[in-house]
Order: sequence, then C-alpha cells, then structure tokens
Amino acid sequence: MPLPLEGPIQYDRVKGTKISKPARNVVQQAYVKDVAEGIAITLRHFFKNTKEMIRNERPDAVTDAIADGVTTLEYPFQKRPYPERFRGVHRLTLREDGSPRCVACFCCSTACPAQCIYIEAGEYPDGDRRRGYEKYPVKFVIDELRCIFCGFCVEACPCDAIRMDTGMHPQPYDSRDQFVFGKSLLMSFAGADGTQQSQNPRVEPGEKGFPGITRLAGHH
Amino acid sequence: MPTIKLDGRDIPFEKGDTIIRAAWRQGLEIPHYCWHPGLSVAANCRMCLVEIERPGGRQMMLDVLHWDEKRGDYVPSKKPKLEPACQIECMEGMNVKSESSAFVADARKHVQEYLLLNHPVDCAICDQAGECKLQDYWLKEQRAPKRMLDEIIHKPKGVSFGPTIVYDAERCIVCTRCVRFMEEIAKDPVLDKRERGNLGEIVLSPGRQLEGKYTMMVDQVCPVGALTTKDFRFKARVWFLRKVETVCPGCATGCNAWLDYDPRTGEVPRLRPRDNLAVNQFWMCDDGIMTHKRVQSARVATATVGRGKDRKQAAPSAAFKAAADLLRGAKGVGIVLSAQRSTEDNFTLAYFARTFLGVNDFHLAGLASWDGDAILRDTDRNPNTRGATAVAGGAVRPISELTEPVVSGQVPVVLALGGQVDLDDVTAGALGRAKLIVLSDCETPLTKMADVVLPIASWAEQDGSFVNRQGVEQPFVAGPKPVGDALPGWDSLVRLAKQAGHPLDWKRIKDVRKAMGGPVGRSSAQPATPDAAPAAE
Repeated sequence: MPLPLEGPIQYDRVKGTKISKPARNVVQQAYVKDVAEGIAITLRHFFKNTKEMIRNERPDAVTDAIADGVTTLEYPFQKRPYPERFRGVHRLTLREDGSPRCVACFCCSTACPAQCIYIEAGEYPDGDRRRGYEKYPVKFVIDELRCIFCGFCVEACPCDAIRMDTGMHPQPYDSRDQFVFGKSLLMSFAGADGTQQSQNPRVEPGEKGFPGITRLAGHH
Repeated sequence: MPTIKLDGRDIPFEKGDTIIRAAWRQGLEIPHYCWHPGLSVAANCRMCLVEIERPGGRQMMLDVLHWDEKRGDYVPSKKPKLEPACQIECMEGMNVKSESSAFVADARKHVQEYLLLNHPVDCAICDQAGECKLQDYWLKEQRAPKRMLDEIIHKPKGVSFGPTIVYDAERCIVCTRCVRFMEEIAKDPVLDKRERGNLGEIVLSPGRQLEGKYTMMVDQVCPVGALTTKDFRFKARVWFLRKVETVCPGCATGCNAWLDYDPRTGEVPRLRPRDNLAVNQFWMCDDGIMTHKRVQSARVATATVGRGKDRKQAAPSAAFKAAADLLRGAKGVGIVLSAQRSTEDNFTLAYFARTFLGVNDFHLAGLASWDGDAILRDTDRNPNTRGATAVAGGAVRPISELTEPVVSGQVPVVLALGGQVDLDDVTAGALGRAKLIVLSDCETPLTKMADVVLPIASWAEQDGSFVNRQGVEQPFVAGPKPVGDALPGWDSLVRLAKQAGHPLDWKRIKDVRKAMGGPVGRSSAQPATPDAAPAAE
C-alpha cells in the first residue's frame, strides 16, 4: 500500500468552455403564473377528494390494485398485497448457535450480475470443530443500491445461507453508505415467518448426529 | 524419428519416452493425476489407462463375461487389457487408443468414481475449485453421480504441514506427486504416504515440518485441493482471476511464471510457475512465488517533491517540472540504472543520458546477493543484471563508485531508476549530498532521500523483459493497472525527457524495442507444453 505522505496533491485543472445561461425575462423569473397554476391543480384535487370522501364514493385501493388499470394507493397506509415469493432485502440465515451459515464460497458473488456482494473469507481458529470443514465470512457486504433484486444469489447458495424472504423493501436513507449492508446487519434480519434460521436445518460437522465413519471406526 | 499411432495420429517419440510423455510433447493430453512431466513415474492413479496394440497386431486380451440384454444372461467375451500410458515405453509401430476407445472411456469413468468415492465434495470451500483436475475430469469423463450410499471415510482436515502449507486428507487422492517432488526436486524427503486404498494419506516425517525453500511447489504439483498454501488460502476464487505471462523478479534465474491478478481490484494474490524447460522447467522457489507481495507492499503511488520532512505529494506535472529543472541546471549528472527494472526501462534511461545529457558512464543498483542453490536460486537477487549491463554498452560500475564524484562535487545531480535496492551507509551518505531524482515503484533507501520521486509501475503492471543469468531475454506482460499516478518506467522517462526539452516520439513499448534495434539476449522461444497449469482465463 502507498505510504501516507503529507500534503494534498494539486492536480492540473481540467480545461473546459463556459456555457452561458439562457436569457429569461422578468415575468418568467417571477414564477407568479406557474405558482398559481400549481395551486389551482392542488385545490381542484382537494375539492374532488373531499367531495368523494363525504359522499363515500372513494374506491377501495387494495382491491383495485389487483384489478386491471391504474389506481393510486395511499402508501404507506395502504399496501399492495405481495406475492409469497416476493424478493425483499437480503438476510443471512443463522445456525442454532447464532453463527452465520455462510461458508464464504463466493457462489452468490459469482452469480451476482450487479457485482454487489463483497466477501472476505476467514478460517475458523485452531481447535474449532468446524476448522477444515468450513471457512466463514469475515466481511459480508451487500450494496443494496447496486442490487437489482434478481435473486440469483439465493439460487446459487449451496448452504441456504442467504435469503430474500424478509418481505422488506430497502428503506430510504440519507446517504449512499447507509445502503451498504454489513454482515451484522444482514444477520439481524428475520424472515417473513419471524425466524432467523433457515427452514432447512442440517447437522454440522462436529455436532451430535453428524454422520461419520472415521478411519479408526471403519471396518476394513 | 520413430512414431507411434495415438488415436490414428502419428506421434514421434524419442527413445525412452513413455506414451503419455510423447503425447505431451505434441500438446496432447491423456488424462492423468499422478504423472507429472518433471517427476518420476508412480502409475498409481490409473487415470491414464489406454488400449495398446503392439506391432504385428499383438494385443493383450482378457476373457470376461459380458451381460447380454437380449438373452438375459452373461456371455463370454473378450476385452483388451488396459495399460497405464505413463509407464509403457513407446515402441515403433505401436497403436494406442485413448479417446477413440470405448473401453478406455469406461475405465476412466470408473477410476473417477473410485477417486471421488471418499471425496468430501466441499468444492464450495476449496481453493482448488475452478482449477481442480477432479472437477475437470468429472465433467469430461464421468458426468455421473457416485453410487455409494455409505458415509465417506473422514480424515484430518486443515492440518498445518509447516509455515506455508495446509493439508486436507479427505480431498487427497494420494497420487504422491508432493512426495516425489520433495524427494526428487527439493531433495528433502520430508513427506511420505501411509496406509492404502481409502485410508491412504500423506504424512510428515516424525518430528519434521514441511519447511525449506521449495515448499509452496507442493501446492502447485497437487492436482486436487489437498495441499493449499497459507498465503493464498481463502484469498480469492480462481475464476475471478485473470492470468498473464510474467517472469519472477526474485533472482537472476528468471523463472517463468503466471501472474494471477484480480482485474476488479488490481490485487495480485499469487504467482504460479509457468513451464519452460530451458529455464525453470516446472518449478519455482518459495521466495519467487512470494514476490507477488511486491505489487502491493510499500508502493510509491504518487509523485513527491522535497526531501526528508519537506517531502510533499505532488501532481505528476509538477514533479516532472521539478525534475527537469534539476537536470537542466546541472553541471554533471550521475546515472543509476537498476538491475531490478526491465531492459526497456534501462535502455530508455541510458538513451536519454547518452543523447541529451552527454553522460556515458553508468552505475548499476540493485539488491545485495543472497545464498543461492543448485536447483533454481541464483546468488544474484536481481532479475535483470545482464540486461541493464547490456544496454549500458557492456560496462557498468556499481552504485558505490558514485560516492567519490558526488562528494567531490563533479556530479551534483543523480538520476536513478529505482526498484528495490540495497545501499551501504557510505554510498547512502554520499548520495544524500547530491540532488537526487528517483523513478521508483516502491519505497527504498533511495526514495527516502530523493528530492523528486516519480512513481513508476511495478514489473507486474507494465510490459517489458528481463535477461536472465543464461542470457535469455524473457518478455513479461502487464497485468493489473499501475497504482495511483504510476506510469511504465520508460514512459515516465520519455515524459521527463520531453519536460527537459528533449522530445522523444516513443508512445508504446514497441517503439522502445524498435529503438533498441533488436533483442538484447537470446530469444526465449520454447515449445508450449500442455501441462501448463490450468487457470481461469
């Protein structure tokens, strides 16, 4: 890595041509007409909506959403019903001991067409029962802004470690870096059924019930 | 030259060649695990079984019972006896069937199933995945699930074999390539095999560790993921990596290597040996493989102007201007070539000095020598001593001889091509008195006392060539993009010359090579070999 040295670098300035602003007259610059037009539209809708509300003529937005045509929903007070396999924000499923099921195999990262998954793999320390059998993600980062929610990562995962069944939208945030979800955040999400584990439990190496013949127990 | 027929194709062979070696010389691969062109024959994996018809139509046949669907019964029939291609010597007029024999295809399929019988199939966490022979041959020859329902034999996993290597007995197919490498090439028989069949595993000699100067090669000869290096372990998946041909900058031997780099980040996680029978055969030493660290560590990424405490980062244009101002006002300029940099970089500096600065004697800097050995390692730690000497007209003086002219004031300005360098205290002290312009890819004793440092690309990031100890000129290819503001060394020098008022119209590396007027050393052309380690393209 480059050594940190003192002083900001004064790079050469990019040369360009200035573009002059388009000329506007006083009437345009005052915006009086435009503001009045905008208020008129708002008022028109206000009276229309008030009238429909009093007469109880308003359509049911949720049932209308399923029907053909375009309707307006008062989101977030009304929500469209989502299909069962809706792909929301990712989560990392957990084992019973609370560790991530992910083994940092990079299959999701490989399958991802948006290249939004960053993983750094690490090794379980000496003496851990999973050492040799598995590695684990030291860092697991998903850039939810870059993600296109295609679900390929879920399909690619050989361990059922990443899922998109949280039912959550990516929330609006103030800055870009807040959309970059780290491992601990992804592990804190629960699925739509409320559990943080997967529905496909498996016996891990070293756990009770893990099938195995060691070279000492085998009959040869 | 005598020939054999392999799948109907004439294959010439030299006396003593085995079938697999004769085919390998022609760039044809007969599937194999345990055979390696640089090691002795073990013939224990049974993957290279072929059908052989000896001259005169003699063929060993076996009496077997063949299941006849129509009759619903076994009927007596004949089947050729398959023989390992790695062990049978070629004989004039021999007819070998490899890809064209149904018996061979069947045998390979079953050998594959046997080798994978107790395999954990943990490709997801295995570093070899993507360049594993088990995966390749499963796709090519087997394409069927295993039929054994029993639980596999579990063996030790993640066993540390020493400071560099981790061993996974479950993935091991006990081909003994590593055992033979340590015994025959590294001359340190520290590995051995114990038990047989599905209990077989590789073990260390009691009380020993896998250590020495050639340990990481056992990872390279391992056809599966049983032996992995601690250095590369879990660092990258190989399918993300791109490879380019490079030359190890570790010593004057100039071992041919593959430079694997991640095009997304520019990181170089490893170097692998590239076959060149004339130079390094199939091998590299540990220190050579670890030279990939040079691409990331202690790099000079931006130009700096000012020395000591006043050293400040600067834009390339400002640094070039500062360097050119120093050169323009100088009474005499000392030129230091680098045995660590490519021939092209050194030539550009020598040309610049001769043509524009009127300097005709050159000094050479580089790393101090280390202990060599008879296998690969040369005592000279610089990859291009011969190339740098050649472009200087055959006579260079060590950098220590620059001490006197600097101290006496004959040479107030020194222009040095950097790269790794060892300086003794006297030389360092003397050079500290001169105005010093250094073009370097990494922080060295020279850059620490330089007045102007211009960042240049490391050998991995630019095209170029080294001339090794045998006088063979070996080109290498740029992998990742240069870090920060770095430029290829020759390009930086061309820009410096332009800034100093001496325009050179060299835009590409081939312009430099054209100006050089031909190769500096012998050509490095050698036949391509099929056993070049596979890698992600």
